[in-house]
Amino acid sequence: MAMLHRRILRRTVEEAKAKLNFNRNRTLFPCSSFSTVTSSSSAAAAASDEAPRQLPVFDYQPKPYNGPSADETLEKRKKFLGPSLFYYYQKPLNIVEGKMQYLFDENGRRYLDAFAGIVTVSCGHCHPEVLNAIMEQSKLLQHAPTVYLHHAIADFAEALASKMPGNLKVVYFVNSGSEANELAMLMARLYTGNLGMISLRNAYHGGSSNTIGLTALNTWKYPIPEGEIHHVVNPDPFHGVFGSDATRYAKDVQDHIDYGTSGKVAGFIAETIQGVGGAVELAPGYLKQVYDIVHKAGGVCIADEVQTGFGRTGSHYWGFETQGVIPDIVTMAKGIGNGLPLGAVVTTPEIANAMAQKLQFNTFGGNPVCSAGGLAVLQVLDKEKRQAHCADVGSHLIGRLRSLQDRHDIIGDVRGRGLMVGVELVTDRKEKTPAKAETAILFEKMRELGVLLGKGGLHGNVFRIKPPMCFTKDDADFLVDALDYAVSKL
Amino acid sequence: MQRFIPARRVLSETKYSLRWQGRRCFSQVVQKEADNNDVVVPKMPPFDYSPPLYTGPSAEEILSKRKQYLSPSLFHFYNKPLNVVDGRMQYLFDETGRRYLDAFGGIATVCCGHCHPDVVDSIVNQTKRLQHSTVLYLNHAIADFAEALASKLPGNLKVVFFTNSGTEANELAMMIARLYTGCHDIISLRNAYHGNAAGTMGATAQSNWKFNIIQSGVHHALNPDPYRGDFGSEGEKYAKDVQDLIQFGTSGNVAGFISEAIQGVGGIIELAPGYLPAVYSTIKKAGGLCIADEVQAGFARTGSHFWAFEGHGVVPDIVTMAKGIGNGIPLGAVVTTPEIAEVLTRRCYFNTFGGNPVCTAAGLAVLNVIEKEKLQENAFVVGSYLKERLTALKDKYDLIGDVRGRGLMLGVELVTDHKLKTPAKLETLHVMDRMKEIGVLVGKGGFYGNVFRITPPLCFTKEDADFLVDAMDYTLAKM
Repeated sequence: MAMLHRRILRRTVEEAKAKLNFNRNRTLFPCSSFSTVTSSSSAAAAASDEAPRQLPVFDYQPKPYNGPSADETLEKRKKFLGPSLFYYYQKPLNIVEGKMQYLFDENGRRYLDAFAGIVTVSCGHCHPEVLNAIMEQSKLLQHAPTVYLHHAIADFAEALASKMPGNLKVVYFVNSGSEANELAMLMARLYTGNLGMISLRNAYHGGSSNTIGLTALNTWKYPIPEGEIHHVVNPDPFHGVFGSDATRYAKDVQDHIDYGTSGKVAGFIAETIQGVGGAVELAPGYLKQVYDIVHKAGGVCIADEVQTGFGRTGSHYWGFETQGVIPDIVTMAKGIGNGLPLGAVVTTPEIANAMAQKLQFNTFGGNPVCSAGGLAVLQVLDKEKRQAHCADVGSHLIGRLRSLQDRHDIIGDVRGRGLMVGVELVTDRKEKTPAKAETAILFEKMRELGVLLGKGGLHGNVFRIKPPMCFTKDDADFLVDALDYAVSKL
Repeated sequence: MQRFIPARRVLSETKYSLRWQGRRCFSQVVQKEADNNDVVVPKMPPFDYSPPLYTGPSAEEILSKRKQYLSPSLFHFYNKPLNVVDGRMQYLFDETGRRYLDAFGGIATVCCGHCHPDVVDSIVNQTKRLQHSTVLYLNHAIADFAEALASKLPGNLKVVFFTNSGTEANELAMMIARLYTGCHDIISLRNAYHGNAAGTMGATAQSNWKFNIIQSGVHHALNPDPYRGDFGSEGEKYAKDVQDLIQFGTSGNVAGFISEAIQGVGGIIELAPGYLPAVYSTIKKAGGLCIADEVQAGFARTGSHFWAFEGHGVVPDIVTMAKGIGNGIPLGAVVTTPEIAEVLTRRCYFNTFGGNPVCTAAGLAVLNVIEKEKLQENAFVVGSYLKERLTALKDKYDLIGDVRGRGLMLGVELVTDHKLKTPAKLETLHVMDRMKEIGVLVGKGGFYGNVFRITPPLCFTKEDADFLVDAMDYTLAKM
């Protein structure tokens, strides 16, 4: 309690100081350290004169680290993991431990994890209940393929199905998002008997050779045959040519079907908020119209919930619910297991039956440990009311970021929902020219200040803020203050 | 169901006391004519472990939930499916605490043994510290494991890509081969199994696993099957088919060739000797890469070598692995040369879960256990012994058409006619079920489902082998 009081006091003092600086600078002379600041943001510059001092208090000590250093590990990576394995930061960060929304490096320094291992650590690093479930099951039985019975997979499937609307209740377990989307594509083609798939430009659905076809960002696309997959105009409210007008974007789908196919398609797949693409939320009303069009063309609708699922959007449990639709197939991974290698596809019994004509098997899918972990995650998210929490902290975060946007020209857009937020940096607000270099610099600066963000968008100019869902308002404030400071120092 | 209380008698005593004395609790003893010494039901070797009491859902409840919430194409073994709740080394326990000899290893997956303490420790310790961070940050676990894994491979095979399954590994291998060569055609073998995603489904060559969807660019060559193949064990004669495929079915240049050295799902078929060297040569001449799928046969299982391809005297360009690599943890890997690995730098390839600290820590623990406990040697010694005993059984029963394999990757094919090699499908199911009742869990495979797959955890002992063979003997005798 005393700690909380101290925190509040410190914050109040900081705010007071900021106000003082603000007033002082307005009446006297601009602070010399902010020489590149334009007139509209001089006030802002003054307010962030001081670097945010430290992370919110956290009562936890990481274990001492005696393993290989960052340099040694980097050497080995270069030698044994290949030149294509990239990493963040000029001087890559050696992360050795994690607890809830924080990560620790080899020196025991704490960082605010605002990216959650790419939207994956949903409950929090090493969340005790999830940990427990994993450890207990690992001691009993790690692996039992589905040729035998085991209760964990059945219990988890039941719990997961209970979270789905409509007739979505048959669950397939796989080991990753790519595997899940591969399976969804297979289902769509089998069920409809049609060939063509449709996905959105700027989408990311996987890195395997077939999901590369669905992915529509050239950074991730190797030059290999994709099969019958087409990419339609992205209903991107910020960059899209039609702004937020869903109807005009939806027409592109209709046009593609009318002119680019036999009139029949296998399916349509989309993320409700594009992740890798830079936290782009689809124009409101888009999915409703497109789902209609696709159904009329004999296709099925696939919702890729790999990043937006499990309450992250705050307003709803599933991203697709924010668009008021019910898909035919839903794919999930990442947050489903708080970091366990696990993915799932949920569909209707009707579509599942189309798959029953042949054998379909996944050796690791639904194994006891991952199923136990997955079930624990569902329970934790419910018990700790993480969805409501995401809505609460998320709106606070977005609110503060929007104020930041008013004060810094470089912030072109703040978007997202709940704890799935994006901040796009531009060098020109009219042209929306991507501020690539600046993003890279700020990215590094934020790390130095103790905040680990994600990066996305085709041009790498979008900060992706998608922390573990135990992220607090204090964490949000720290993040925004750090960003404010960093931007001011540019 | 009977609860097996581990006896503290000397193993050899156990075996002989069974054979020559009666056991009152087994009342259904059948007297077989002639010299059969398996008059009594064989008894499992003793094991000093009692599983905790199981209080979870029953088999019936689980089955009901599976039907309601899981894929309708999920199948299970046995008329009365087995609810496995606990595992220790080479044994599994059902809901009543009854112990079974796991001769299938969760499909050649559990190599060190269920819940092997060293592996569990590494998993628990790492999980408590950091489950997941991605390769965007550094972590020593992935680097240490990659180094250790690379050290097990010959030639210049030393760049590792981590995935989450065998399917992902094979998909990546196929993509790498296609990118590296600029060609699309890949050759695999009829009867192969490489995975269930679209690309690997193309390479997989058994209709029961292939859906009616487009699978492009794969050609299936004649299977160098010593038992059913037209050319017996003459590997080079089969290799000519690959030559023909390339010359007539492709532009003359291919992306690559992929095969298992011992086909797993296909029924433990060891490729005819001399086949791989001949084919590798042909493929190289056509500019292609050779991919060795070690998902089942790798990690010391074949006993004579660490990798099954080594038994054929070849060095592939790409090796894929999964299953045994982590003793059951979801993990896969692709190992190739730095030259070939470079191809992925053209764009970004990323795998969120691949190479996570927990799975790689487990992988490293597995390699250490295999070395420390000399599991490769054990696989060789026990495997040869087991194969000998099974071969003796083959001489005894007409139903057994073939016994094959290497180390602890063995297959027993049942046929109703030795000449025609007619698959004995029903008999296989029956024997498998009966063996489970005696306490032995084997696997099933082959296109016709008439091959027993024996791929136990590598800590399998001679006593276990005896129990398995005795159980099979007993069952066959009663048919």
